[in-house]
Amino acid sequence: MKIRTILLVLLTMAGTAAGLQLLGCQSAGASSSRAWAADKVYVAPGEHDKYYGFLSGGQSGSVFVVGIPSGRLLREIPIFEPRAAVGYAVHENDPRRRELMATGGVWGDTHHPAPSETNGVYDGRYLWINDLANGRVARVRLDTFEADRIVKIPNLQGAHGIAVVSPNTKYIFVNGEFEQPTDGLTTNPAPYTSVVAFLDPESMEVKFQVRVNGNIDIADSSKDGRYAFSTVYNLEQAKDPESMFQYDRDAVAAIDIPAAEKAVAEGKARLQNGVPVIDPDEVPGILTLVPVPKNPHGINATPDGKYVVASGKLSPTVTIIDARTLKIVAEPEVGLGPLHTTFDDRGNAFTSLFLDSQVVKWNIARAIEGASDYIVDRINVHYNIGHLQAVGGETMDPKGDFLLALNKLSKDQYLPVGPDMPEAQELIDISGEKMRMLSSFPTPPEPHDAVFMPAETLKGRVRQTYDLAADAVAEGQESVVRTGPRSVHVRMTLIRSAYTPEQFQVREGDEVTLTITNVETIRDMTHGFALPDHNMNISLPPGFTKTITFTAGKPGVYWYYCTNFCSALHLEMRGRMVVQPRDTTVEITDWHAAQNVKGRQVPGVPSTGAAR
Amino acid sequence: MRSRLCLPLAAAAALTAASLALPLWGVRMTAPQYPDEPLVLHVDRHGIGGDVQEVETLQQYIGVRFPQRMPELAWLPVPVLTLTALLLAGAVAGRGPAARALRATTIGLFVLFLAAAAGLVQKRLYDVGHDRDPNAPIKAVKTFTPPLVGPTKVGNFTVWSFPHVGGVALVAALVLAGVGVRRGAP
Repeated sequence: MKIRTILLVLLTMAGTAAGLQLLGCQSAGASSSRAWAADKVYVAPGEHDKYYGFLSGGQSGSVFVVGIPSGRLLREIPIFEPRAAVGYAVHENDPRRRELMATGGVWGDTHHPAPSETNGVYDGRYLWINDLANGRVARVRLDTFEADRIVKIPNLQGAHGIAVVSPNTKYIFVNGEFEQPTDGLTTNPAPYTSVVAFLDPESMEVKFQVRVNGNIDIADSSKDGRYAFSTVYNLEQAKDPESMFQYDRDAVAAIDIPAAEKAVAEGKARLQNGVPVIDPDEVPGILTLVPVPKNPHGINATPDGKYVVASGKLSPTVTIIDARTLKIVAEPEVGLGPLHTTFDDRGNAFTSLFLDSQVVKWNIARAIEGASDYIVDRINVHYNIGHLQAVGGETMDPKGDFLLALNKLSKDQYLPVGPDMPEAQELIDISGEKMRMLSSFPTPPEPHDAVFMPAETLKGRVRQTYDLAADAVAEGQESVVRTGPRSVHVRMTLIRSAYTPEQFQVREGDEVTLTITNVETIRDMTHGFALPDHNMNISLPPGFTKTITFTAGKPGVYWYYCTNFCSALHLEMRGRMVVQPRDTTVEITDWHAAQNVKGRQVPGVPSTGAAR
Repeated sequence: MRSRLCLPLAAAAALTAASLALPLWGVRMTAPQYPDEPLVLHVDRHGIGGDVQEVETLQQYIGVRFPQRMPELAWLPVPVLTLTALLLAGAVAGRGPAARALRATTIGLFVLFLAAAAGLVQKRLYDVGHDRDPNAPIKAVKTFTPPLVGPTKVGNFTVWSFPHVGGVALVAALVLAGVGVRRGAP
């Protein structure tokens, strides 16, 4: 009895010890896996991320610039929507705001960032992005991170897919998703059609368009520049949604670019709204429709240029098409709701599965051979992944290290912030055979797609100060000049911590043209010019000049002030616009800083600008 | 007697003349807000150069100002070219007692010149730290005197003063001249 008790006690102790050890091991394993992931994405203060990530802003109409792997938001580049914080398209007379209003409005829906390429890799010059809502394309300069051109594409609604023609950015091509009457008239009984538009990357001029029946969706070019590929759904040409998925198969459209150029040169295109439009029914050899399961979505060329992969969306398959012969070489099943595909540098593809909320990794060669083990790995994402993008996956130099899952829903992933939840991105390590989840970071609504550029590609190109433009105001040359009975031109400079002139006088209703130059020369010394009650906030990076015309409001004193924290005297950095009544008897005279010699008062305008 | 050229003295003359075309003295300012991009000033015959705009912009906060006029710079060619001429003369003067006296005088004048120059620079530096605008917005920075060579702390800045290439050329010229005289030129 005694011995049995002792034995029992000993056994219990041993069992508990073993159990504890097991538990200990497990928790050590979990924490080391967390530490491993954390270490992969940790970028210490003062250190830089390895990659620039450019995420489309979706209905924010912008581009989010995010550091990868940290997921830190570095910048939002406003494009189709005003952004007062950076003085973008705010005032009704701002040239960019007028341009936006004239081309469709002050909002946009940006989906796919497409960087310029040289020899099949990103060269860091430009990034183009579509505005699906209003049929526009913008070009972003990657030296200044600002939109430099915005164009409206004729004959096209729903500018959805956009891609550059590899390998040297011969064209930017844009797909019209929303079909239109061929002659633009609602009374035309013929089925609606769409166009693919080819733009010159420098002039942004639409060089030609190719008509395609159906809704033209996502775009990519073959790596050799021969074909512009697009997925096309609704070959039914239906106008009601429930009739858009009746056919068993829709298509990948392959436009033969040299053949299209030749047709245009031979006058086989018809001018519509000033753009040559090729109708492939009239000009054979331009358009090849490769039948793929109905309502396909993503289309992605493999980095080696051999294949193009169409993702099935409603079909659980991807269709692998030979990029030269345009023949289907395989159609492997990958999972439910395949939307987009990206690639590593070891012959693997990664496809997003919207319904499964998964990324599936599969081997291209094995899938083509018909081997049964072409699926390499699956990883769960949270939730309903749309686009996914591996670093360099759209170039001829994929890096095979990180992959970003751009999820449509975040549900329980972040602290709740009201009914509208943050958008979720998840960073996945793809350097090994198995994918490993690294981190998750939220953004405002709503990134669709992303591209990544090595920091080295851009760092040396990015400008941090502007050279003074031809219209810049030089220090000592500031002036307030009446240019007409009701118009005044104010030429102003600013530098820590003062505006020159520090005051000017106008009459109510005067049209005031303000030319303002930040004459700072060192990086990050941006100043603002905010004018109360005049819908005005200008942001002026070092060396930058802005001209804007506004109407002076009701009589009174309006303090203009610096909105971008600059110096120990930031709060004191302000000046006055004095608005006199229309019928004032106060004499208002011109003023020139150059004549504002010390000790000599210039009539009409009190001493000003003598600070420096 | 065949007149021979004393090379060290000739070289000293060349260096002395060259200093007129070179920056003589410099300042390097570092602060946390200027990572990897210290502000640099240098003084040459024409005045102050370098990051003048930025430094002036900063100075207004603590009431520091650059000297408005530096007449000594306008006069600088006089002693420098005189010394150059004396060194050249010493280099070709041969071995006589008059030549030796000439060379000794030149060395003496050179030492005097450098001492006076150092004194003037130090006076300017003292003024920069002491003769300040009493209405400056920031009162927290106390009076300071940057040394001729070496660091000093001004507010959030560490200010390093150092002789620039022209200043080094002048000192080197003096050393060379000394070498020439000791070897009993030519």
